[in-house]
Amino acid sequence: MTLQECYAAMGGDYDDAMGRLRSERLLQKFVLKFLDDGNFKLLCQSLADGRQEEAFRAAHTIKGMCQNLSFRALGKSSSRLTEALRAGESDTRELLECVMEDYRVTEEAIRAYQAGLN
Amino acid sequence: MEKEKILIVDDSEMNRSILADMLADYEIIEAEDGVEAVEILSRRLPELSLMLLDIVMPRLDGFGVLEKMKERDWIEKLPVIIISAENGSNHVERAYELGATDFIARPFDSLIVQRRVVNTLLLYAKQKRLIRIAEEQVREKERYNDLMIDILSQLVEFRNGESGLHIKHVRRLTQLFLTRLEARTDAYPLTEGEISLICTASALHDIGKIAIDDKILNKPGRLTPEEYEIMKTHSALGADMLRKIVEHQNEPLIQKAAEICRWHHERWDGGGYPDGLRGDAIPISAQVVALADVYDALTSKRVYKPAYSHEQAVRMILGGECGAFNPLLLECISENDPQLQNARWDESIDQPGKTRSRAILEELHDESGASRRTLSLLEKERMKNSVLASMAETVQFEYTPDPPMITMSPWGAQKLGLPEIIMDPKNSDELFRVLDREYWEEMSRFMRASTPEDSEKRIDCPLHYGGETRWARILLRTIWTDDEDPVLESVMGTVLDIHDSRVRIEELARRSTQDSLTGLLNRASARERIERRMAEKPEDHFALCEIDIDDFKKLNDTFGHMFGDQVLRELSRRMKHSVRSSDICCRAGGEEFFLFLDYNDQIESTVDRIYKSLCFEIEGLNITVSMGVALSVTEGPDYTRLYRAADLALYKVKKSGKKHYRFYEQAMSDALEDVAGEEGR
Repeated sequence: MTLQECYAAMGGDYDDAMGRLRSERLLQKFVLKFLDDGNFKLLCQSLADGRQEEAFRAAHTIKGMCQNLSFRALGKSSSRLTEALRAGESDTRELLECVMEDYRVTEEAIRAYQAGLN
Repeated sequence: MEKEKILIVDDSEMNRSILADMLADYEIIEAEDGVEAVEILSRRLPELSLMLLDIVMPRLDGFGVLEKMKERDWIEKLPVIIISAENGSNHVERAYELGATDFIARPFDSLIVQRRVVNTLLLYAKQKRLIRIAEEQVREKERYNDLMIDILSQLVEFRNGESGLHIKHVRRLTQLFLTRLEARTDAYPLTEGEISLICTASALHDIGKIAIDDKILNKPGRLTPEEYEIMKTHSALGADMLRKIVEHQNEPLIQKAAEICRWHHERWDGGGYPDGLRGDAIPISAQVVALADVYDALTSKRVYKPAYSHEQAVRMILGGECGAFNPLLLECISENDPQLQNARWDESIDQPGKTRSRAILEELHDESGASRRTLSLLEKERMKNSVLASMAETVQFEYTPDPPMITMSPWGAQKLGLPEIIMDPKNSDELFRVLDREYWEEMSRFMRASTPEDSEKRIDCPLHYGGETRWARILLRTIWTDDEDPVLESVMGTVLDIHDSRVRIEELARRSTQDSLTGLLNRASARERIERRMAEKPEDHFALCEIDIDDFKKLNDTFGHMFGDQVLRELSRRMKHSVRSSDICCRAGGEEFFLFLDYNDQIESTVDRIYKSLCFEIEGLNITVSMGVALSVTEGPDYTRLYRAADLALYKVKKSGKKHYRFYEQAMSDALEDVAGEEGR
């Protein structure tokens, strides 16, 4: 699997990310690093515990990373969740499910790409 | 050049590392939230060039950091670029209001990030440089102003056959009287700036004398009434001269100087010249200078009179024998007045930069080469300033021997945790917490031995500061007076941090003398040390043991190199344990080792003990060695001979079944002929 195919599988924009980072080596490094980031776990945990403020920051960070890496699909759902949390909406279950689903697809694509590297 | 340091503050590790990769040309410092950022700023602000700051962060957000920076005036010193996905305009606006310089929105584009960073750094560098240049120019201008005034006014004095001290005395007395007057009454409200202006202008009070004929000006006896009338014109002449400088008519300095010139011979009772002004119609500047002028004239020797004492002069002034003065002003002097008595010589009254002009003027009067030396003097001053300015962020100091004192640059003092001024350094505990005393002594020796021709010195030494010890290089330069008989004025010093390069060199040196597997010395460095040891004490008893591991090749082939290495390391360890740390252990190559030791007596039992400790069991295998020993008592303190002898003894051991040791005997050498060529080693 190429990095381009990995982006296609997760609904990301490979050309956009390459246009900004200008190095496939760097892009690869950060894509692989994405899975190490703890903010997704933190988001799920803090929402489950009802810590809105912390959940907002985690969602916000995920959104920022997705923007930087041009992970469009996950970026869009995490952005919607971020805004809902910022506005203090209490029922964010549906939005969270979207984020979880997009995260799963993104993670799967990256894992498949990673497996191909080894 | 050192890389500029950028602080990246963002709670996402990935965002920080994307930015760090985009900014590979800079040294990156990271903080993961606002609290950590503030903590880093409080310690390392001076070394940072730029901060990239995220807004949404736990504990303390980006706005919080900006507020803290504003509160502590850090925002003036460090440009901040906001990075955030928040591009809502109220966010941007708030960040700018709090002092942010620029804004980078996510997602990051490497070109944009790099460009913004470069632009901001350039802008700041330029701004800092411009401020420095402007400050320099203002200072320079003031200095040259003072200088020109002094030169001009003292020319008059020299022409007058006086020492040139009068100007200086009048200035100091004027300063003293004005300060006392201000403390005594509100009648003449003057700002500090105005007082300083009057003092400067006072230097020009007699400038009109330049237009008076030499014969009258320097006449030794009393002046005739006609001559006196001519002499009296100097006050109005001086004022006219100044008022005719059309371009500068409105300069406060010129206006002050003109009023002092014209009216410093007026009297409070209206009996003075040229205008016969009375009371406060005479400007206070002229009143004060008049009193200063009279007091100094009375207490100095003139061609027509001796110098009166302070008490006499005060009595004469208060008694109305030498003019009539404002009673408020007369309250400022008294017979029992040590401050006034000493004021004329009190340099602490001067504003800085006043004494140079005198030196220059004296040089002007020096007939040969005066202008060249004057120029070089000015040049030296200028150079010193610009060098100092360019080194503003290094550790610098100046040491003056009299009184003994070190003045540190503010940045340097902060860096080393020392006060900016250290009085009597040789008894300063603070100084010797940072610097080891022996290096201070080395510096003192240099200062004593230094001459104008031999004025530089480099000292490498450890400094203790910030909780660690770092190697520094101190560059010293002695500064001398320009006289024929130069006197040491001060010592300028710069401290460079050479820790990292020094540690690297030491590591390289260590590695080049050591065997990397066992940590023992290699052959070349062992030989060097052995030769040095024997050269130092040729009479001592030395033994050289050459050691070979029996059947090492077979061991390697059978059990592999890893096992072989393990055996080598164990043997090395045992070698080190079997001798004193001052003895020399060496791996000469492959499985060949040697030991070099000194002894007093009973070398046999020592060698026997060492030999036994070098045979050991490892993973069920018995490792044995062969060893040949040579002694300096028979071979002499000569490395080559010792080595050859030990080698021969080892050869004999190997020929006779290994697993033991032997001392060299002469017979071995004789027998060598027989076996030569039989078996190479």
